[in-house]
Amino acid sequence: MLEIKDLHVSYGGIRALKGVSLQVKEGEIVTIIGANGAGKSTLLNTISGFLKPVRGELRYKGKALARRPDLVVKSGICHVPEGRLVFANLTVRDNLNLGAYLRRDSARCREDLEKVFALFPRLKEREGQIAGTLSGGEQQMLAMGRALMTDGDLVLMDEPSLGLAPLLVRTVFDIIGKIRGMGKTILLVEQNAFKALAIADRAYVLEQGKIVKEGPSAQIVVDPAVRAAYLGSKSLA
Amino acid sequence: MAQFLQQLINGLSIGSVYALMAVGYSLVYSIMNFSNFAHGGVIMLGAYFGFFALTILKFPFVPSFLVATLGTTALAILVERIAYKPLRERKAPFLYFIISAMGASILLENIVIATIGPTFRTYPQIFDRSPITWGPLAIGRLDLLMFFISAFCLIALILFIEKTRIGKAIQAAAYNIKACALMGVNTDRIILIVFGLGGFLAGVAGVFFGMKYTVYPQIGNITTKSFIAAVFGGLGSLPGAVLGSVILGTLETLVAGYLSSQYRDLIAFVILIGVLIFRPSGIMGRSMEDKA
Repeated sequence: MLEIKDLHVSYGGIRALKGVSLQVKEGEIVTIIGANGAGKSTLLNTISGFLKPVRGELRYKGKALARRPDLVVKSGICHVPEGRLVFANLTVRDNLNLGAYLRRDSARCREDLEKVFALFPRLKEREGQIAGTLSGGEQQMLAMGRALMTDGDLVLMDEPSLGLAPLLVRTVFDIIGKIRGMGKTILLVEQNAFKALAIADRAYVLEQGKIVKEGPSAQIVVDPAVRAAYLGSKSLA
Repeated sequence: MAQFLQQLINGLSIGSVYALMAVGYSLVYSIMNFSNFAHGGVIMLGAYFGFFALTILKFPFVPSFLVATLGTTALAILVERIAYKPLRERKAPFLYFIISAMGASILLENIVIATIGPTFRTYPQIFDRSPITWGPLAIGRLDLLMFFISAFCLIALILFIEKTRIGKAIQAAAYNIKACALMGVNTDRIILIVFGLGGFLAGVAGVFFGMKYTVYPQIGNITTKSFIAAVFGGLGSLPGAVLGSVILGTLETLVAGYLSSQYRDLIAFVILIGVLIFRPSGIMGRSMEDKA
């Protein structure tokens, strides 16, 4: 579904990605783990069209991916950004409607809105509330719901559990599973490698702009080097 | 009492035109976080467009008004494309935008001086100069027209921003332009629309200022007042810009009426200094960031 070949991206004068290749197949959850500054967010921001690659190839559903954020959304990729970035000045409902900005199929939009409300009943309760007054967990749900409203088939998620209480972290991962159940494909960037590997089918390990390991999550999670670097001494459940 | 009411009416009239200009500053600031100092130049050219449409083309008032407003809409968009878009694409720091804005402002003023000349020009008389009287109160026909057209434009603008899909996208872009793009919004087009709206209102204000006073290349300096009004109301906030403008216009006319017209311009700067010291976010401002 998504194919990236030999991607090089500079960001702030630094070569942040140095020849990244990866692919995501339809229906998969793929995770990219790596330390802070490894280039994970740079990768997602490049897919979304905010950063221009120095070289390399990005293909989505067999076609070269558009290089402008709104066209990327149009082609069917949505992005739940790091830090959530909900429109704090607008209501929950306005935020969700903005997700459907490009859509003209109002009947299906209404269906999708019902699906989002079924997934996040809290958002339904707070429909008319200004998004800035939501809690961190609720804002994360709104950011996810808003992305789902774009009707993209591939969902990019950048650190969805960042800054959330442990109980909410679990909820967020449950929801990621449910989003896959809705027929979406997910590319997940996470610092919480343990949780990410538990939910993902496959994983890539990104270090200083390069993929150093890849494979099925079950294999990556038992890799001694990965365990030492990202999973600490935590034992496997 | 009658004198007070009279000053209030005059103040509302002038304040509503300040508001037309102030929302132009606020709209651009809300999305791009810098003050578009070329706005004054656009207003000045609006006054000239209207003047030439009336005198050389001999158009009636309404078509001249359209020539001026459509002309400034196009001009504001042109300024954005030439002076700011290249900086946006390079993700330049905001200081560069301000320098570019000042450059555009100086350029516009000097193009006019070089081509049209520095002389003062007076709009032909369009409206009867005799005021409409009501008891002891009198209001000029032009002032009345200014007030109603300005109020109409401002209400239309606020409805557009609050009620339409594009308006919501403008609000979203004002909060976070990256997240707005993630919704599939073409943010480049949103910026274009925002400059176009500001430019249109600049044309309305330019024609009114030309009619009320005279037309000259430095008429854009009047916009300093509306910029102060926008800061006073809270840069980036449209209701704030309107409120700040109405208060400033009213205070000015009251000072001119009760103290001396020489103090009229002083009040704007006293307010500016007061706001910057005691409440930098203005009446309805959303943040305490630099207002430069």
